[in-house]
Amino acid sequence: MSGWTWLAVALLGGAGASARFLLDALISARARGDFPLGTLAVNTSGSLLLGLLAGLSVTADALVLAGTATLGSYTTFSTWMLETQRLAEDARARVAAANVLLSLLVGVGAAALGRSIGAHV
Amino acid sequence: MSQRLVKVTSYFGERDRVARRLLADELLDIYAEQRVHASILLRATEGFGRLHHVHTDRLLSLSEDLPVVSIALHRHTEVEALLQRVLAVKRRGLITLERARVLSSDDHGELVDGRREEAAKLTVWVGRGERVGDRPAFVAICDMLHRLGLDGASVLLGVDGLRGGRRMRARFFSRNADVPLMIECVGPREPVATALTELHRVLRDPVILRERALVCKRGGRLLAQPRALTDDERRAGLSQKLTVYSPHDARHRGRPLHLEIVRRLRTSEAAGVTSLTGVWGFHGVRPPHGDRLLQIHRHVPVATVTIDSPQRIARSFQIIDELTDEHGLVTSELVPAMRALNGVESAGVLRLDETAG
Repeated sequence: MSGWTWLAVALLGGAGASARFLLDALISARARGDFPLGTLAVNTSGSLLLGLLAGLSVTADALVLAGTATLGSYTTFSTWMLETQRLAEDARARVAAANVLLSLLVGVGAAALGRSIGAHV
Repeated sequence: MSQRLVKVTSYFGERDRVARRLLADELLDIYAEQRVHASILLRATEGFGRLHHVHTDRLLSLSEDLPVVSIALHRHTEVEALLQRVLAVKRRGLITLERARVLSSDDHGELVDGRREEAAKLTVWVGRGERVGDRPAFVAICDMLHRLGLDGASVLLGVDGLRGGRRMRARFFSRNADVPLMIECVGPREPVATALTELHRVLRDPVILRERALVCKRGGRLLAQPRALTDDERRAGLSQKLTVYSPHDARHRGRPLHLEIVRRLRTSEAAGVTSLTGVWGFHGVRPPHGDRLLQIHRHVPVATVTIDSPQRIARSFQIIDELTDEHGLVTSELVPAMRALNGVESAGVLRLDETAG
């Protein structure tokens, strides 16, 4: 990878993180109830887009920039885990379990959907 | 001899800025300049204010601007000059004035033969790293208060503060031994008076405050309604403060009690609520406790505070009364002066009415 690619990874990575922060905060501030909807929305939309990229057979630098840099910093595993832990701490065991299971199911589904959309375009 | 002090408390956002500086820093600078008796900055874990924006440490994206509480204790006679400076800072949030007394070791009598109320509230400020014998001071103090039979104590960690004119900010790579922490405890007057003597014996140079609080509920039992204000007090614009001290793992119908209180008060249009999570403490007979390694539920105390007009406090108390049917120590206090700041208009004047309270 060239120096320019590294620079672009840094910039797009920052943009992905900012986009996540904006969307997550927007949804969380409006959501009722305890379920961390913001993180779910971010991870699901990220999985859909990454699936789409894979379906479109994007490769090389384009995949690094769009996939690893942008979507990699947009989606978040650590936040998903931390918020699940906080739910368990607050005695919301069912919501915590739902947060893990729902994210998994919806996430894998979104990636598969994105992939098949990409493959058929 | 006890000394009369005024407690100036500001509630605002951790990230609020004035002229590109953090508001919390700006206030502490003013406090240092005015040589206040002592000051502490506390970080809350949950809360909402006048605009009903919720901040919580439960969701990552909503935890970047948590509510903070900045408290300054100042000599009663010099409070005018301090307020002039503090109110000149244009900002949002809430500011309150309350009366307090700093108790010295010979104020045992003042506590015992006080007037009408049967309970007393003490607030002890010590350094985070201060020790009594071979144990952290706050652990030793909680054990002592528990042994004396007080109703409860909560240790709230400061993140910044002033003591004897010296700034004590908590840093990441530091022991932070001098950063202040605050222990709020409530109990019947006799044991509280004994605790005062004992505290002065074991601590080097503590700040021990007496505040006037009424115990409304203890362990699910209703003891008193928040005091109904007289017509004079209402005209003077007095406000009231309710504090619920509860264990973090206390539940109301399976949900964390302190979160239910914040949620229900929010839908009831209460002016604002701030939840402060402590690090150590006790409630009733249960021995003092804190967090353990590898736990699922937390074992720390939480203090949930709401300040409002007397009418709305009466309504909020009904909600709190319903929620604290099993757990919780609920106290009510008088707030002689309060002002909600909108960040645009000047705050005007704020003074303690000498006739009221």
